[in-house]
Amino acid sequence: MRTLTMTGLARMTGLASVAALSLMAAPAALAETGVTADTIVIGGMGGLTGPSAGLIIPQLNGVQAVFEEVNAAGGVHGRKIVYAKQDDECLPSRGVGAVKKLIHEEKPFMIVGGGCSNAAIAQKPEVIEAKIPWVIVASTADSLTEPVNPYVFTTMSAAWMEVYGQLQLALDQGKTRIAVVWQPDAWGKARLEPMKQAFKAKGIEPVSIQEIAVEPTDTTPTVLQIQATKPDAVLLLLFPKAAVPFLRDAYKVGLQPLMVGGSPLGEIDVLAKGVGSPDSVKNLRAVTAAGYGVDDPQVAKWKGIVEKRFGDRFNVLHMYGISAGQFAVEALKQAGPEPTREKILQIMSNLTVKTDTYAGPLECKPTDHQCHKALGIFAFQDGRVTGIGVTRPTR
Amino acid sequence: MLLAYALSSGITSGALYALVAVGLVLCYRTTGHINFSHGELFMIGGFLAFTLHVMWGLPYIVALLGAVAGSFVLGVLTDRVVYQPLIKAPPIAMVMATVGLSFVLKGIGRHFWGGQGEVVPFPPLVSPAPVLIGGVAVFPQQLVVVASVVVCMLLLTLFFTRTRAGKMMQATAENAHAAYLVGIRVERVYMLTWGVGAALAGVAAVFVAPLTLLTPDIGLSLLLKAFAATILGGLGSMTGAVIGGLLVGILEALAGTYIASSIQDVSAFIIILAVLVFRPTGLLGARARREV
Amino acid sequence: MVTLSNEPSAPRAIKRRNLGWLVGRRPALAVGVLLFAVLPLMANPYQVYVGNLALIYVILAVGLNILLGLAGQLSFANGALFGVGAYATGLLRLDAGLPFWLALPVGTAITVAIGLAVALPALRLRGLYLALATVAFAQFALWTFVHWDSVTHGTAGFVMAPVDFTALGLRTTTGIYYLSLVLAVLLVAAAYGIMRSRVGRALVALRESEVAAESIAVDITRTKIVAYTLTAVYAGVAGGLFAGLLNVVVPESFNLFQIVLQFCMVVVGGLGSIAGSAIAAVLLIVLQEGLRGMQDLQEIGLGLLLLGMLLFAPGGLVQALRRWLPGWTEPHSRGGDE
Repeated sequence: MRTLTMTGLARMTGLASVAALSLMAAPAALAETGVTADTIVIGGMGGLTGPSAGLIIPQLNGVQAVFEEVNAAGGVHGRKIVYAKQDDECLPSRGVGAVKKLIHEEKPFMIVGGGCSNAAIAQKPEVIEAKIPWVIVASTADSLTEPVNPYVFTTMSAAWMEVYGQLQLALDQGKTRIAVVWQPDAWGKARLEPMKQAFKAKGIEPVSIQEIAVEPTDTTPTVLQIQATKPDAVLLLLFPKAAVPFLRDAYKVGLQPLMVGGSPLGEIDVLAKGVGSPDSVKNLRAVTAAGYGVDDPQVAKWKGIVEKRFGDRFNVLHMYGISAGQFAVEALKQAGPEPTREKILQIMSNLTVKTDTYAGPLECKPTDHQCHKALGIFAFQDGRVTGIGVTRPTR
Repeated sequence: MLLAYALSSGITSGALYALVAVGLVLCYRTTGHINFSHGELFMIGGFLAFTLHVMWGLPYIVALLGAVAGSFVLGVLTDRVVYQPLIKAPPIAMVMATVGLSFVLKGIGRHFWGGQGEVVPFPPLVSPAPVLIGGVAVFPQQLVVVASVVVCMLLLTLFFTRTRAGKMMQATAENAHAAYLVGIRVERVYMLTWGVGAALAGVAAVFVAPLTLLTPDIGLSLLLKAFAATILGGLGSMTGAVIGGLLVGILEALAGTYIASSIQDVSAFIIILAVLVFRPTGLLGARARREV
Repeated sequence: MVTLSNEPSAPRAIKRRNLGWLVGRRPALAVGVLLFAVLPLMANPYQVYVGNLALIYVILAVGLNILLGLAGQLSFANGALFGVGAYATGLLRLDAGLPFWLALPVGTAITVAIGLAVALPALRLRGLYLALATVAFAQFALWTFVHWDSVTHGTAGFVMAPVDFTALGLRTTTGIYYLSLVLAVLLVAAAYGIMRSRVGRALVALRESEVAAESIAVDITRTKIVAYTLTAVYAGVAGGLFAGLLNVVVPESFNLFQIVLQFCMVVVGGLGSIAGSAIAAVLLIVLQEGLRGMQDLQEIGLGLLLLGMLLFAPGGLVQALRRWLPGWTEPHSRGGDE
């Protein structure tokens, strides 16, 4: 135990002296933070461990795949990208520490990361205070990018965009009795609020708003409550963990109206397997950030790269990361051989890039940092997830 | 109709809670301690079956036996590593030690299986298509869960009344000191008890896995439901645990159906708090204390 | 649990004890405080943040030790009460518009009120039943944080403006840091005061045997209430500081992992040892930061640490300190050889 104390103290003082040294060294560096003659450090944070890791790791792997491809082709203006990742466990309480560690110890030029809304909301003030350009990979909460902040951009569809898209899809099919199911976590809450606004904007009332647990075992009671309101469409603000039991129980009691999910439900084939029957998802549509199905030839190149490099099963999560990475790389290219944070911010606020995994180009404006505009609509047809359209939701 | 559906769903969940609660109570009766890592035993049992059946493609029965054997071994380990060394320590130490163990198991589950059960589901033992029973659609797997609980309870009863080991466990639960005096190797009995209790969690996991998605974090919520069941049934009564489990499942489903869906998840905690505050011996505690 | 130590043979012990004042508890704690006081001058903002988090956990662990280590009440409610403290302080600032210096004490008072609301029914419960009831309470509290939308802002929690310390000429992070340091020092000192008082002796009597305690005229109910109240005060203060440190309050910060972390601190430090809890809190926070990015290892490590300490070193860190540093004395600690 004594040695434990000693290492603890030694560690603290060690950290302190390292910090003191680096403080002294700091003014000597002339170039922009994170940029050397042959490297450029880009930071990334996300839940690399914990319950959400399965969703976040593929996203950051997507980013990394892009950076590695660029490096293999000689880098950006001769500089290799170093992608420094920190784990925030998708928890705000751990996320503040993660982003501080990232900013003050990895010292990145810019950040391409952020997967969970709650963690990102807690991290945002730290990033802004440090004046670091930040491209959000997948955190969707509207409050991250509204109102516009000069340092924060997102290449993911904002929460409001998807829910407006979901509702519009139902309305376009002539549905009038529309119910909403949501999961009580930060993600679900960040969708439920804009969903309510979307209903208000369209001048209709949802017939029912129900919640099911984030990891439920049996959702029959909720399904029955919804069924009792005789809906002709159900909008799902759910992740697969909640959606699979819900779809299963809905299938059981014969609740089979049009169902519309968001980005997390893009892999309808996986859901069908989870429920155990393709019939259960025949009326399910997903409005998602990704523009292509996993097996679409458009993304075959990336599928190959990701599966070879990481051994992951290529999925839509990688696509979010790939688009974010390509967006950042394009901005770096345009910034020229002497990139500064100022320049990058300038460029990104007027940047339009067609990435490989989204249906339309990412378009940023000085007044609008929610750069992703064109969402794909998917259905499960002939045993595979098929794109059936593109939507550009507006408020 | 609504009621029938709520009941059918409540009974399925309730049967699961009952099976998990019986394992808890079995250990409590004999050892006087509650295993806070019981939910994680369920989780590991489920993932063992997942590995054998889904990943390696072995038959369901092999997965069942593997999960039962694996969780039995974990139970025995719990006895060796936690229970026996701390047998004379204050109860606080035992509770915290099993809490510690639950974190170790959860970390192991996350390390080896994290993220997998969410993507690759556990296929049902029987057809996934629902069948109609008296106009109410149920999944055949629900029937399997209920049936497995009935079979498990019958086997347990036979075990306690017909086998030597079972009788020794009964005797030790009644009075460990007296059992020791008549020559029962009490330590062995403790070990067997932890093993059997854990194996019950493994059985539950294999039957329920097709109805839920396995995650490393599944243990805690299940443990809390089982707590509610044991407390409702009176700690120490196995019949009570079964009835308590079914009651928790049904109450939960009814609350979710008739009050608000958001209540469903919290009903178990409300039950625990209410019972402990108003009737700490449980609804059936005093009466059914010594039954099997 | 009381073990008689026959470790150092008599002459050596005496020899060491002469040097005791050099390595005793007070000088060691003073050095610790000094190190913490100069940390912001030398470290980067991330390290200051980690130091601040450690100070908050010192308060939390020392507070829990009063209930768990001194009074022997196994309550799982402390993680939730920590959350209540954070929520109360945060909401008073955000929605009631109170300044931080007022929100913190009022938030603490609210935490104490809720802590007592838990304590009163819990007074009848002992051992396992108490543990189960408080686990249920902790989960219920978490559910309330999520579902009492109109007050708690629901699942997404809320973000506050940084606490303003310009009146003292300090930046927010520095201000919160030194406030945490001052409060930690005061509360640790107070814990020692309590321990030496009549109340402290009553708490220990309660832990050792309720029947025996009653027979020497210890008012069991009153003593338990005092223990729950004191622990709630510490949890409330820590929670308020936590809200001030992060500027964001969300439900998932206060789940069961939280209480297990706190248990670990108390057990690693040594049940009943104030200094032990404080040292263990710092160690574990540094360890947790060191293991960032390895959550499965964090869980396994934390679990093994708790298990290992209970099995092999039930006296905790402080037992080792006492053995190796003869000047180190510790009143009323479990496994003590007073």
